[in-house]
Amino acid sequence: MMLQLNGSSSRWTAFFLLFLALCSLLTPAVTVKHENFKICDQSGFCKRNRAYADTALSTSSWSSPYTLEASSVRFDKGLLTGVVTKEVGDETIRLPLTVSFYESGTARVTIDEEKRRRGEIELRHNSKARKERYNEAEQWAIVGGTVLSKGAATTQGAEKGTTRVAYGPAGAFEAVIKHSPFGVDFKRNGETQIKFNGEGMLNVEHWRPKIDKPVLEKKEGEEEKKDGEEAAEAETNAVTTEDEGTWWEESFGGNTDSKPRGPEAVALDISFPGYQHVYGLAEHTGPLSLKETRGGDGKYSEPYRMYNSDVFEYEMDSPMTLYGSIPFMQAQKKNSTVGVLWLNAAETWVDITRSSSSANPLSFGIGGTTTTNTHWISESGLLDVFVMLGPKPQDVIGAYSELTGYTQLPQQFAIAYHQCRWNYVTDEDVKDVDRKFDKNKIPYDVIWLDIEYTEGKKYFTWDPMTFADPLGMQKQLDEHERKLVAIIDPHIKNEGNYYVVDELKSKDLAVHNKDDNIYEGWCWPGSSYWIDCFNPAARTWWQSLFRYDRFAGSATNTFIWNDMNEPSVFNGPETTMPKDNLHHAHWEHRDLHNLNGLSLINATFSALLARSPAELSHPIRPFVLTRSFFAGSQRLGAVWTGDNQAAWPHLEASIPMLLSMGISGFPFAGADVGGFFGNPSKELLTRWYQAGAFYPFFRGHAHIDTRRREPYLAGEPYTGIITQALRLRYALLPAWYTAFHEAHVRGEPIVRPNWYVHPEDERGFGLDDQFYVGGTGLLAKPVVREGQLETQEMYLADGERYFGYFDFEGYEGPGMVKVSAGLEEIPLLMRGGHVIPRRDRPRRSSGLMRWDPFTLVVVLGKAGDAEGTLYLDDGESFDYEEGAFIHRKFSYSAATSVLMSEDLAATGTGSSKKAKEYLKGMEKVRVEKIIVVDAPAAWKGREEVEVSEEGAGKSGAARKVGMEWFAGEGGKAAWAVVRDPGVGVVRGWRVAFA
Amino acid sequence: MRSVGALLCLEYAATVYAASGEASRPRGVGPECTLKPNANNVEAHIRVLACSRAPFSPLLTNSPPVAKFYKDASTFSCISNPSIILPLSRLNDDYCDCPDGSDEPGTSACSHLSSLSPHTSADHSRTGSNISLALPGFYCKNKGHIPTYVPFTNVNDGICDYTLCCDGSEEWDHVGGVKCEDRCQQIGKEFRKLDEARQKSLGSAGRKRKELVLEAGRLRREVEDRLQSLGAEIEGSEMKVKQLEAELVEVERREKGKVGRGPVQKVGKMGVLVGLAKQRSEELRETLARVREERDASRGRVQELEGVLMTFKEEYNPNFNDEGVKRAVRAWEEYAARDKGPEPDAAHDRDLDAITQSDKDNGLDWAEYESEDGEESEAVVLHSFETFLPLSLRTWLDTNLRTLRTTLIDSGILADTSSTSSSSTSESKAVQAAHSRLDAARQDLANHHKSLASHQEDLASNMGPEDIFRALKGQCIATDSGEYTYEFCFLDKTTQKPKKGGGHTNMGNFVRMETVLVDEDVDEKGRGLGKGDRIAMRFEGGQHCWNGPSRSTLVVLGCAEVGEVWRIMEEEKCVYRMEVGTPAVCDLAGVGGGGGGGRGKEGREGRDEL
Repeated sequence: MMLQLNGSSSRWTAFFLLFLALCSLLTPAVTVKHENFKICDQSGFCKRNRAYADTALSTSSWSSPYTLEASSVRFDKGLLTGVVTKEVGDETIRLPLTVSFYESGTARVTIDEEKRRRGEIELRHNSKARKERYNEAEQWAIVGGTVLSKGAATTQGAEKGTTRVAYGPAGAFEAVIKHSPFGVDFKRNGETQIKFNGEGMLNVEHWRPKIDKPVLEKKEGEEEKKDGEEAAEAETNAVTTEDEGTWWEESFGGNTDSKPRGPEAVALDISFPGYQHVYGLAEHTGPLSLKETRGGDGKYSEPYRMYNSDVFEYEMDSPMTLYGSIPFMQAQKKNSTVGVLWLNAAETWVDITRSSSSANPLSFGIGGTTTTNTHWISESGLLDVFVMLGPKPQDVIGAYSELTGYTQLPQQFAIAYHQCRWNYVTDEDVKDVDRKFDKNKIPYDVIWLDIEYTEGKKYFTWDPMTFADPLGMQKQLDEHERKLVAIIDPHIKNEGNYYVVDELKSKDLAVHNKDDNIYEGWCWPGSSYWIDCFNPAARTWWQSLFRYDRFAGSATNTFIWNDMNEPSVFNGPETTMPKDNLHHAHWEHRDLHNLNGLSLINATFSALLARSPAELSHPIRPFVLTRSFFAGSQRLGAVWTGDNQAAWPHLEASIPMLLSMGISGFPFAGADVGGFFGNPSKELLTRWYQAGAFYPFFRGHAHIDTRRREPYLAGEPYTGIITQALRLRYALLPAWYTAFHEAHVRGEPIVRPNWYVHPEDERGFGLDDQFYVGGTGLLAKPVVREGQLETQEMYLADGERYFGYFDFEGYEGPGMVKVSAGLEEIPLLMRGGHVIPRRDRPRRSSGLMRWDPFTLVVVLGKAGDAEGTLYLDDGESFDYEEGAFIHRKFSYSAATSVLMSEDLAATGTGSSKKAKEYLKGMEKVRVEKIIVVDAPAAWKGREEVEVSEEGAGKSGAARKVGMEWFAGEGGKAAWAVVRDPGVGVVRGWRVAFA
Repeated sequence: MRSVGALLCLEYAATVYAASGEASRPRGVGPECTLKPNANNVEAHIRVLACSRAPFSPLLTNSPPVAKFYKDASTFSCISNPSIILPLSRLNDDYCDCPDGSDEPGTSACSHLSSLSPHTSADHSRTGSNISLALPGFYCKNKGHIPTYVPFTNVNDGICDYTLCCDGSEEWDHVGGVKCEDRCQQIGKEFRKLDEARQKSLGSAGRKRKELVLEAGRLRREVEDRLQSLGAEIEGSEMKVKQLEAELVEVERREKGKVGRGPVQKVGKMGVLVGLAKQRSEELRETLARVREERDASRGRVQELEGVLMTFKEEYNPNFNDEGVKRAVRAWEEYAARDKGPEPDAAHDRDLDAITQSDKDNGLDWAEYESEDGEESEAVVLHSFETFLPLSLRTWLDTNLRTLRTTLIDSGILADTSSTSSSSTSESKAVQAAHSRLDAARQDLANHHKSLASHQEDLASNMGPEDIFRALKGQCIATDSGEYTYEFCFLDKTTQKPKKGGGHTNMGNFVRMETVLVDEDVDEKGRGLGKGDRIAMRFEGGQHCWNGPSRSTLVVLGCAEVGEVWRIMEEEKCVYRMEVGTPAVCDLAGVGGGGGGGRGKEGREGRDEL
């Protein structure tokens, strides 16, 4: 022991050491490991391009060295082609350009590199990688909207040195292509909305051979590489002043990237003149309105990064990458929304800066002079950008969704409540939880199994010790129409006598390493291989694994959770695969990394369509949860925000994160309710359920080390309050399902931020802590702060009347209002002018609500009118595609005092056999109650309304049913209740109030 | 739906009759619906009520308090709000009129009237926010079995709830085409059979419990007897200690008087040196021994630690995907790969053994040097002088001198040169012997006291009602769950044993008895805790968890014929809960009653939220 040391100096040493030891103990246990993930400076291409941007900005005479050869320009049927050249010394690099103009009004600019495309390059290290720039992202991400416009036309009389193309609706859009330096201005009604290369940061790193330096130098560089060291040592080059240090090899975290193709980044600056706000680039933990990234007060100093990674204990308010990425950005100014999709699946960084010419940056108003500049940098692949010119938010998200696909219309159960935990440890445990939900009268639809259900982390197996009877377990769940979601990850355990790995190896369907041999890494099971879902043969094989006869123990109510699909590799660089790994067709992993998650759920999705011959002919809609995602993943499943923490800031951040997912075309998203890591206080758990009831994807989840926290364990008053929140979600499922349908057909977000609903209201552009539920007019602002137990401020964007959902308290905008927010209360308002469909009867699961009657809440607006929609189908199959659905519009007109139900389905939709069967089955389902909020005082004393219904036959004459009017007290609105109008939800009808 | 209401009512009336064995009655004859009620005419009530949209037969309930509210033939008053009067047509018409739901005893229309559901102003238009259902649920007659209430949330949801409603009557509307046939005959029969077995088992459990109580009593008496005899033994020991103390005093007194061969009082320089050398040598030896002990302990700990790390490396949970953990594993690998330093060397240890032996054993007798080189003391001179005297004189002189000396010492005139008061090394044999006799006697006494205390504590400790767990103390019950066998030993400890072999893990040692409130299912065989207060044993301070607390277990006891572990759960990391059946808690009244004995109805009753 130190105590025997003599002398004060050694005693001080001892104290110092003790102090250090204590310090290390006191360091918060929960914090992201920054050293595991690169900052821009540690990512060679990002560093290079940021430096390039700095040079461009700081050089007054800067001229971008890219020129469009005027003679090469061709335009035909909506497609412009040409060659952009880049002058480097005395060399001219040829970069083929295409600019496509689509019928939808979307334009697309694509730049390739001729030498790479032709394969006229040499790869180092005898690499077998493909030589071209990756050009298949489109095959995964883009599914429609690429019909070339016949109406697009070059504008005659364009000034010299430019080519102009008019396109879009009524030719209101125009692309002004400048030849030298190359750049494009996108205009709407003559006003520039988006500029490409306006700041001269366009950069396509062309192929060049490596000129070897003396051996000595390189050896040294390699020797000195250490964990956490940024990049390879900078090597000075006599020929050029460019820093070649990151051109050929890069090391990080003890892994060296061999970079056989050398530097190959693409980068471009995209400016939004006059736009103060930009949104998108999901998924990050910062605010919905993206921050500047070049340092300064309250700004980030790192660019937003998109490189899908398993970030352990991720931090709040950070531009760090997370599990998924959608390189889609929307810019917002008053009454105008525009967007860009940067279609590139490689590691991508985006810098954001704002410049303002206004003397007073706080002044708002027409002709605002703030410009948002963005700088997009990808490591490899094509430069490929889609441009949407709005002007409405729906136009942009609609165009984006047309391109990348619409959100899957989920099964009904999938939007109800999911109960998950790592792990329910035995089949009896699952059955016990199932029984306890019933016993406590708490509805739930799905229970989940994390990795421990498998035998030794071998997917497609069950641990015979703990899950001896999976089918019996699922049978019990099925008795109340409940489902099981089991996890299946892409890493396959490398162990003998495991048929999955045997087949994977013998069929050679795994991802390869840089030497083109099977890649081995480390994940849950230990040594593992990764299925390469980019390989069509692998997909076919993967599909076969899910067949009921192969995945023994799975049942028709089994669905799938694909986790770790970034992919997460515990011993890989940045916890993922080496970039020089090789996929099918010898594409490097770096090219398609961000698509990896999508490729897996794509395979799983199709697997779930074909689990038995019977299902193949009459499939049910798959449900797949993914952690990793890219543009297009919304077609295939749901997503959650990964491993969050049981802490208030994580609850708070969940809302902007989900709003961001919503406006990025992937609205079926949720955060783990309760927080994954750690134990939430009961107040936090309760508030989280209240917030979770408004997540499009609503799942409670917990880490294996946490205490159990199923809602019935919380104790009173918490369990009761949580149950109310859950039952509120269930009562509003018709509204949620209708919102999902809107996402499915129009790409609209399910939870909608203020700017999306009120694009005219500049004051609300930065708002991201409250949201609207679909088009229902429901405005929620869940409490996300500890100890906030009295009131919640909410922002009303317009002059419409709003009413408390529970107490009918009236509020008038615009501006802030105070809403009651006791622990048992959810700040939830109804905007005037809407009709909200509900089903009020509590049931054990959503499936058991199928035959229940509806309640319509008619919230009269200022003008006295209201309107709402209801979409309904069987909630499981694809029969809706054959017309087997109900789509009604409910509208109340003050002028006529009539509430009507009209069919929104196209004429003849319901004529198919399946449609008829469905509608017949729903024949008896009625509206049992109509509540009119803010009912006119003139109704006081009236006791009846007149109901008439179509198809009621000869006796279909109008009948009278009871109505009662109630005066509101204090600030509460008056309301009226129509007693059991008994009208069928499948039919048209009228209820006359006067 | 309305248009079929009347038909339904008739059909239902018919099925009620059929189910009640009155199939001979005419099927759905119209006039039945208009029968005037009669306080004594039960059938009439059924018929009247069955004429609404849904069936209801509250008069057959075991808890008739509500039945009276449905007797009026012309109108109905909501039970909790009698001011609200409804026409009979609004009973069971699938629309909730009464704020307490009492107008819909046969439908799910009022199922949202619950504190568990969200409410808006429109839900309590008349009553304010006071939401409470007047009825316990949908009444299932279950002819041939036991009548029950089904939660209203389960009525007409398309699922046959046979576990509660074996006659299938809660799905009377056949939504989505569901048809729930009456299975009461079969289910009732099975239930009775099981119930009989349960009762039998319960009886047997009761007998076993009685045996356990007897056994516990016997064991208690054993302890009490032992306490008594311990008392006697303690008295005896105390007396003995007193005697020996007296003896010691006497012996010492005698020894003090002894002239001659006292301790060396003065020594020469060499003697001082030898003394110091001896002292030093002993110090060094002791230190060496201590350092060696410490070394062995550290070596043991290092070995243990390396073992832990080895396991850690092999089994570490990359759950956390934690760079810190990965670094630790890497560091361990580096450490393990490094030169481990010298292995424990047997020869070296033998050397140490030799060194740490006493000097005498090593052939170095300090005494030799001390006596040889010391200058002679007065005592020695006196001794020398004495040796010249004849034996008889010598003895006389000796005795007298000694007496004189003792007297002088006692009177404080002469210094006490014998060192009995300070050091025992130079005690005479006689004193030493007296000492050891006294010590042994004291030890005996202490042991007796300890034993007494532990037995008293044992008697005073809570071993459950009627001291019943005394009979089971230390007895173990085990069960397999997953890859482990879990063992629970009454009042002792809980243990986890891997089936694949390897060390057992202590999941906690017994700390106390507790009472816990439970609400668990009882299966058809009567296994399960049921609802209410149950006796539990708390076990704490088990093996420490990696990245977690020390293991602890709560064992909750329910009544069963034989001891068995029903369930084992890890409620949170390293916090376990066991549910164990044992006859020891059967048939106890009040708190801690093992009501989980599966008294049939308890687990079967369906009560809606009240």
